[in-house]
Amino acid sequence: MTDFDLDAAWQLHPQVSVRPERFGALLYHFGTRRLSFLKSPALLTVVQSLESEPSARSACARAGIGAPDLPAYTRALARLADSQMICGRTAA
Amino acid sequence: MPDSTTDLLERPADEVADGDVADVQPDELVAADLLVEEISIDGMCGVY
Repeated sequence: MTDFDLDAAWQLHPQVSVRPERFGALLYHFGTRRLSFLKSPALLTVVQSLESEPSARSACARAGIGAPDLPAYTRALARLADSQMICGRTAA
Repeated sequence: MPDSTTDLLERPADEVADGDVADVQPDELVAADLLVEEISIDGMCGVY
């Protein structure tokens, strides 16, 4: 798994569709034909707010992720980045 | 997203992402595994 830059700007990949579920959400990537299960509603909040937040760190803060849980959420985001569910956001 | 993808919720994960685990605490790995699970639907053409 690659290192994840928590202070960079990220976004949901344009080819990814999000379906909220009771357990969190189901992500489907139309390009890679992969499914990812977000098994935490808070992680869904993080993913959904990536686009409007300046960094993944601030998206986590907005979702109420505290310092003790931040490493686990960082690794979860890294996994989503590896599978191209989220991607780096470049300035317009 | 096609509604038929919800059928896949009942399927077990067939792939787990590889990773460099040398510098990661086991409890962090477990927590990350609990937060995200991935599967590929390649080879499932015709199922839906």
